[in-house]
Amino acid sequence: MKIAPDFLERTIADLPLGVVAVSGSNGKSTTTNMVSAILRAHGLRVFTNPSGGNLPQGIASAVLADASGSGRLAADVAVLEIDEAYGVQLSQLLKPRTVLLLNVQIDQLNRFFEPDRVAGMLAKIASTATGALVLNADDEHLVGLGEALPAGTSARVSYFATAPELLGAVSQGMLSAPRFGSAATATATTPDVVATALDGREATIEVDGVPTSVRLPARGVHYAVDAAAAVAAARAALGERFSAATAASALAELETVYGRGETLSANGEDIEIIMMKNPASLQLNLDSLGTTPEQVFLAVDNGTPDPSWLYDIDLSRLSHADVISGTKGYQLAVRLAYDGLPVGVVEPELRAAVRRFLALRRPATGRKTMIVNYEQMMLIRKILGYTDLEGGQS
Amino acid sequence: MTGLTILHLYPRELGINGDRGNVTVLARRAGWRGIDATVVEHSPGSGELPDADIIVVGSGPLSAMRSVHADLLSHAARLRDLVSGGAALLAVSGGMHLLGAKIELEDGTVLEGAGVLPLRSVLTAKRSVGDLVVETPAGTLVGYENHGSLVTLEGGAKPLGTVRSGFGNGGAGGGEGVRVGSAIGTHLGGPVLALNPALADELLTAAIARRGGALGASADETIGRIDEWARLARETVAAHPSSY
Repeated sequence: MKIAPDFLERTIADLPLGVVAVSGSNGKSTTTNMVSAILRAHGLRVFTNPSGGNLPQGIASAVLADASGSGRLAADVAVLEIDEAYGVQLSQLLKPRTVLLLNVQIDQLNRFFEPDRVAGMLAKIASTATGALVLNADDEHLVGLGEALPAGTSARVSYFATAPELLGAVSQGMLSAPRFGSAATATATTPDVVATALDGREATIEVDGVPTSVRLPARGVHYAVDAAAAVAAARAALGERFSAATAASALAELETVYGRGETLSANGEDIEIIMMKNPASLQLNLDSLGTTPEQVFLAVDNGTPDPSWLYDIDLSRLSHADVISGTKGYQLAVRLAYDGLPVGVVEPELRAAVRRFLALRRPATGRKTMIVNYEQMMLIRKILGYTDLEGGQS
Repeated sequence: MTGLTILHLYPRELGINGDRGNVTVLARRAGWRGIDATVVEHSPGSGELPDADIIVVGSGPLSAMRSVHADLLSHAARLRDLVSGGAALLAVSGGMHLLGAKIELEDGTVLEGAGVLPLRSVLTAKRSVGDLVVETPAGTLVGYENHGSLVTLEGGAKPLGTVRSGFGNGGAGGGEGVRVGSAIGTHLGGPVLALNPALADELLTAAIARRGGALGASADETIGRIDEWARLARETVAAHPSSY
């Protein structure tokens, strides 16, 4: 790995359209995927890092695998998802032409401590953009960042946004962490890409005021926001070549995603997986549930060292939990009980808990629901006999 | 017994990590005993503080602490009067630091505190993050700490307990938090009362005593079940406490 930085730098520097770097608390994988699809639909060869492989090692090995023969990437542009904490170091290396920053949310406080610190990391990534910096106009930290760019930053700053009517659909309006102190959002930003309407999976995205209909890969406001972000970044990267119609058809062809995770199958029943990554993602995933889940399983282990934030979540989409598991299972049971939600049983041992849940009568909808953190999901996949390595993290 | 007033200070600013759970727990546990609890939220600029039986303040980043600082100081005398008059208090992490005598920031500048709790804090770059297990005369308290600070108690004040695992005020084996009567400060973050219901009931008992009442038994069976889950949750963490 010692040679990786230089190798990365040289390989990436050869790309005609450079690097599009995507970072933020939530939606990195989805948005990276969307930007890649839009650029491909415009006829570009795109190099990208596999979902979740957003740390330096992941990116370096992806580049090595692709470029090992020729020493060059067979691509016109790289679209790279980068972890907030490693973004500083990576983006100095990659010198991204376009930087897309999605949001600053309350996320993994055991690792990031507080949102202000994440905002500081993203500011450093932003300062490495050589061509365009694309920011979320609805995020107070990112607007503040756009207003306070260091002198000498040459990147052109543009914004994407979401219509207030759409954001209102999210309980507690918790898409971004509040920013305290400075006269927040004093300057009105003028976003050039706006998600203006959403009906199921059909969204409307306006580019310079011209509406385009877009079919999203899944229900949920966050997908509309991610799509607006991706369109804005692709447009910044493509310049004159950008076509909204081409972008819309690229988004429509993305693989459908259910909920935020996926649907597993056991004994002929569907099991809908809802990922519990951080407050915003859990809230959005719960809010995008069409109906109250009939049978509910919850499991969280030490992969989520401190589930305190569950007390900030609006659980009104749930009516009860049938089985709760994981080393944090008793903490979850306490949380639900304080909200007056009946809890069937707490079974700390995961395999036994899954067995009990599967033994419940077949739900009328044919679908059971599991709300789990990433680590428990991977174990549950194994228990249910899934052997493949996929299984997307957020 | 008519009811209780719970004053929740700065829920938006000092509520980074489920801190409002402490208010939920107090209100629910009062309700299960047939006591009506009214929650009054106070934000910067929302006027005089009401009379209160319990005062709850959570934690937040330094930017959030600064954003409530001026308002807090303008109500400092009133808060001191409420607490010396028998109101119970729970202040978590940043909220505890703000209610002390002063906070020294990393750059050496000093923020004046509200002077409600006998302590001073020094903010440090080094962060203490992980499970925090504290021994107290009334039993073991368990929670999660996430702060960069050193706390020194003043005037012979007693800590809430002794650190068995974690950092607390200044390192393992030392003190954690502060206790003056029913005024409690702690680094046990977020919804500490959910995992430690005995502490919640102690605050409620003091608050009700202030109204001349006593905390009765609960007719609701939920409380027994929830407290058993909380006990098992504490046991699980205390068996293998981790730091990050």
